[in-house]
Amino acid sequence: MEIFFIGILLFVLSGVFSLFCRENIKLKMITVLSFFASIFAIIPAFKTLLLGLPEGLICNWNGVFGEVPFVIDILSAFFIIIISFVSFLGVLYSNGYMKPYEGKSKKFASHCFFLPMLTASMLLVTVVQNALFFLVVWELMSLSSFFLVIFEDDKKEVLSAGIKYLIYMHISVVFIIALMALMSVKAGSYDFETFKTIFIEKPYLKDIIFFLAFLGFGTKAGFVPMHNWLPDAHPVAPSHVSAIMSAVMIKTGLYGILRVLLIIDKPTALIAFFMLCVSVLTALYGIVYAVTQKDIKKILAYSSVENIGIAGIGIGVGMIGMFYNNSVVTLLGFSGAIFHILNHSIFKSLLFMGAGSVYLKTHTKNIEKLGGLIKSMPKTAVFFLIACLSICALPPFNGFIGEFLIYLGLFGSLKMDTSGLFILIILSAAGLALVGTLALLCFTKIFSITFLGLPRHECSQKVDADVSKTMLIPMGCLALLTLLIGISAPIVFVPVSCSVADFVGVQYFYTDFVAILSVLVKLFLCFGLFILIFVIVYVVRMLICRKSIVYNTWGCGYDKGNNHIQYTASSYIGPFSSIMTPLFKKIFDVKKPKGLFPKDAHYNSSIEDVEEAYLINPIVKFDEKFLSKFERLQDGNIQHYILYGLIFLILALVGVVFLG
Amino acid sequence: MIILLILLNLILILFFPFIMLGIIKKTKAFWGGRKGVVLLQPLYDFVRLLKKQPVVSSTTSFVFKLAPVIALATSITAGLFVPTVMGFSIINIDFAFIVFAYILGLGKFFAVISAMDTGSSFEGMGASREACFTSLIEPAFFIIMASIGAVAGFYTFQSLNVFLYNADILGLCIIILAVVALMIMLLTETSRVPVDDPATHLELTMIHEVMILDNSGCDLAFLSWASAIKMVLISSIIANLVIPYNLPFGISIALYIVLLMFIAFLIGTIESAIARFRMSHVFEFVFAMSAVALVILSLITIRIYGG
Repeated sequence: MEIFFIGILLFVLSGVFSLFCRENIKLKMITVLSFFASIFAIIPAFKTLLLGLPEGLICNWNGVFGEVPFVIDILSAFFIIIISFVSFLGVLYSNGYMKPYEGKSKKFASHCFFLPMLTASMLLVTVVQNALFFLVVWELMSLSSFFLVIFEDDKKEVLSAGIKYLIYMHISVVFIIALMALMSVKAGSYDFETFKTIFIEKPYLKDIIFFLAFLGFGTKAGFVPMHNWLPDAHPVAPSHVSAIMSAVMIKTGLYGILRVLLIIDKPTALIAFFMLCVSVLTALYGIVYAVTQKDIKKILAYSSVENIGIAGIGIGVGMIGMFYNNSVVTLLGFSGAIFHILNHSIFKSLLFMGAGSVYLKTHTKNIEKLGGLIKSMPKTAVFFLIACLSICALPPFNGFIGEFLIYLGLFGSLKMDTSGLFILIILSAAGLALVGTLALLCFTKIFSITFLGLPRHECSQKVDADVSKTMLIPMGCLALLTLLIGISAPIVFVPVSCSVADFVGVQYFYTDFVAILSVLVKLFLCFGLFILIFVIVYVVRMLICRKSIVYNTWGCGYDKGNNHIQYTASSYIGPFSSIMTPLFKKIFDVKKPKGLFPKDAHYNSSIEDVEEAYLINPIVKFDEKFLSKFERLQDGNIQHYILYGLIFLILALVGVVFLG
Repeated sequence: MIILLILLNLILILFFPFIMLGIIKKTKAFWGGRKGVVLLQPLYDFVRLLKKQPVVSSTTSFVFKLAPVIALATSITAGLFVPTVMGFSIINIDFAFIVFAYILGLGKFFAVISAMDTGSSFEGMGASREACFTSLIEPAFFIIMASIGAVAGFYTFQSLNVFLYNADILGLCIIILAVVALMIMLLTETSRVPVDDPATHLELTMIHEVMILDNSGCDLAFLSWASAIKMVLISSIIANLVIPYNLPFGISIALYIVLLMFIAFLIGTIESAIARFRMSHVFEFVFAMSAVALVILSLITIRIYGG
């Protein structure tokens, strides 16, 4: 445990040191220190995961927090590993990505300071078991990520997206405070351990606690309808920050929900079904919007919403298993969710890094202007392709395993007999299948429009070389991992399932574990067979025709085809968006040509989030209208302000005297 | 015996596609009042294509060359999971239909991006339509397989046969509906009339055929073989739903082959009888499968839990 704190300390120190060194070595220093810090943080986590023994340390801060227990249990050990690993790769990647900004941006120093602080605070969130201190590190995490998001704050959209993110986080933290306060008051202590006792007498509290946790942590994770900050914040943040945020930071929201579930223990039917339904909706909503967007990072942000939904389906299945006391379903659901969290943290950070490399070379995030980059950036293209295959859950890559476990859990819970549950489960499975196929539509679009065909615009035409090695190495590592985890799924399943053993209960764990492992081993053999067949077909293909003639693309008799004749992203999803029209708010920006010699004309269509257009914006508008009535109170006169303070104090005093 | 069955399965999966294609051609010729080509003409075409040197567009990358290989490899691998004669499949694992669907998904992913790789507007059109139509098929397939598995109590493909074995009138209705739904899937996935017309040569109206405009030589051979294998696979699923599993070997194999031939004949008849749908009607056709799947789901719920 002490080693873990050395790691945290190193992260913090690297942030502080970076304030005092020259700009060109700032990131290098952070990278080196982060490397050691990550190793220090991972060692105790691995120990806990392998031995299954929680490790703890109690700090005594009398007066403020009371006793603060820091515990690495098997659930947090898992999160520590992915957080340290992905954050380190993100920092390594930033060395190449931030090069053009060095010495040019005033924000560079603050960026370098908050980058390791974000990692440190995320790591602390996973180990703190004291309600009050948890809120402090949670807030630290939100704030440091906020400062990382607003790196380019001279642009208007960056600042507004950053502030939106800040507001969302602070509305969500209200629910978390309420949650922690409720549990602390009932239990009479800030310690998470003692919270478990409050449900013995008052089981109805479970629902309230869970819904508070869902609203609070769910906003961080990005469950619909609280997802709206993601598609705004991710595109404006620097790519390695989006990678870290999307790959691991939003997972701390899921960690919070899982932690609350551990405290609640056996969930009620209401919250179990609620979790399943809302997750299916989240996944569908996320992917439908991911399909329709044009901004490469916005697509990835919506796809993060989708993947949080998929992991949420796993959690929901696990909760249903707990409710019906079915240990196999519990294990399948939770381990599927955890497996998907692991997978998503790998391929999503890879996708964001790939998108960042494209942005660095072409200076655009609009995929309609891209194309043909596979010729100029072959390595990035291959890594991006692997990540796309994996996120579509196609075998033999890792994404498939997590979804497969969740399917297994869903179909396993069919044996529990009520007709309502039966229909719900089968429709959820169909929903997951639909999410999978729409992901295929979405990621064939993003890959083929960005990397294939001919360049659609000048900016993608003049790309001359692939990005530097410091950016390619992290991407290569992640790409290799997606394939390795997919193929060696039975091995990876061991630590993954161990990390959710607490949900299942030790007495059942072993037999269920062996049963699932045998399915995965069979799957492993099938993958082996597939790869064998692939190699055979490939060799046969190479033997049959060694040479080929190179010629123009067949233009159906028209031989003057150029890059403008190609399909664009919008036309690619045309059939889909035509049937989904009722779900979208389409915005057209049209200027028709006028007169005999028309000068300028343009046509632009985009799709806005209906949740934002019809739910959030009216609320914000109403708020503005309502609050503007109080504008007169703020008249700039300091005496008045002191008067307000005095009135408040008197009211507080009266309140205390009469009510307290 | 098992080795014999494995060999038989492999032969059926790899070579029966040509016969099915031949029968479709013969049927169309029959309804058109022509004599038609010989039954094995698709096989001769395949061999002829293998011998030709492929022409590759200068716009394309390695994706274009890799796609036919992956399409064929995924079709063959998916075939290992599907039961043919006597409900026997080479690989028999739980939840095989999930692996089956996702492996075919890998092939589709590459087929789509290889079409986009050429930078041709026609192929983009085909890719876009193919990705959109087939994405609506899979949920319905999952509903059908999962609910049939729930009745049988287990989720291997064998549950299809077991289902028929103890079917009452309600069960027979479910089987008929499932056959209808799977026929829609068959026509959509293998791009036959009324979804797509493989015989037309007007690029604007095609789906699958337009995606492979630029492929030639062995690449084209591989792609069409992969597509034809898919036809046999889905037909086999239909056949296993209808043929009881406890018949003697000889009768079983005869029934299976007759049924597959009948399906090919049916496809040919449909192609002769009706024209392909307008693009906007294709969606309605594809959604019909989902509707049928939902009816199956409600019938099965009634069957399991009573009215």
